[in-house]
Amino acid sequence: MAQKHVLFTFNNAPYGSIWYTEGLRAAVGATSGIDEHTVDLVYLGDGVYFTLKDVDRTDSARYLGTLTKGGYRLKAERESLEARGISAADLAEDVEVISRADVVELVKIADLTIDF
Amino acid sequence: MANLYLIGSPAGRNGLELAKKDGEAAVLLIQDGVYLDASAIAETGKKVYALRKDAEKRGLTNRFSGSVELIDYGKLVDLIFAHKVINFA
Repeated sequence: MAQKHVLFTFNNAPYGSIWYTEGLRAAVGATSGIDEHTVDLVYLGDGVYFTLKDVDRTDSARYLGTLTKGGYRLKAERESLEARGISAADLAEDVEVISRADVVELVKIADLTIDF
Repeated sequence: MANLYLIGSPAGRNGLELAKKDGEAAVLLIQDGVYLDASAIAETGKKVYALRKDAEKRGLTNRFSGSVELIDYGKLVDLIFAHKVINFA
């Protein structure tokens, strides 16, 4: 097996489903193991609600800790934030805002896209 | 290889937004993804497909205008093999 680059998209808001944290757990799984795949973590649509600064991240803290140590940052789509009236000041400081066009570029460079 | 945005749920509308920005995109609506309106994308000349059986079960076949092609499972498999699949299931 060879190392791959995997794009994880997060499309669901916390806490009505487990997707918001299961996706992070899967991303940690992708980066560990024999092949240590590289990942991108992008929040789209209602998923961007997880990137608000006041969200309780307790149950995702371990996954986020591992991913941050691995040098990975959470990315949120600007158009999705604007559509929901979320400004940069509302965001957690470890979140990077990127445009939808940037997301399409991430899709193109990814070997695989997994949605949560 | 063109990107095939495989959309199987309403949350997959985020994938529709990406497909609009992706010059080489094709879109395939399956399961509850058939509730989404992808005609705007079809009108820009990109290929948009919907799975006939999923549309029929939901009584939606009349909603699919000429620009969105209703396909069967065989064609779905062909499309998946011919493209890089971008998953919004």
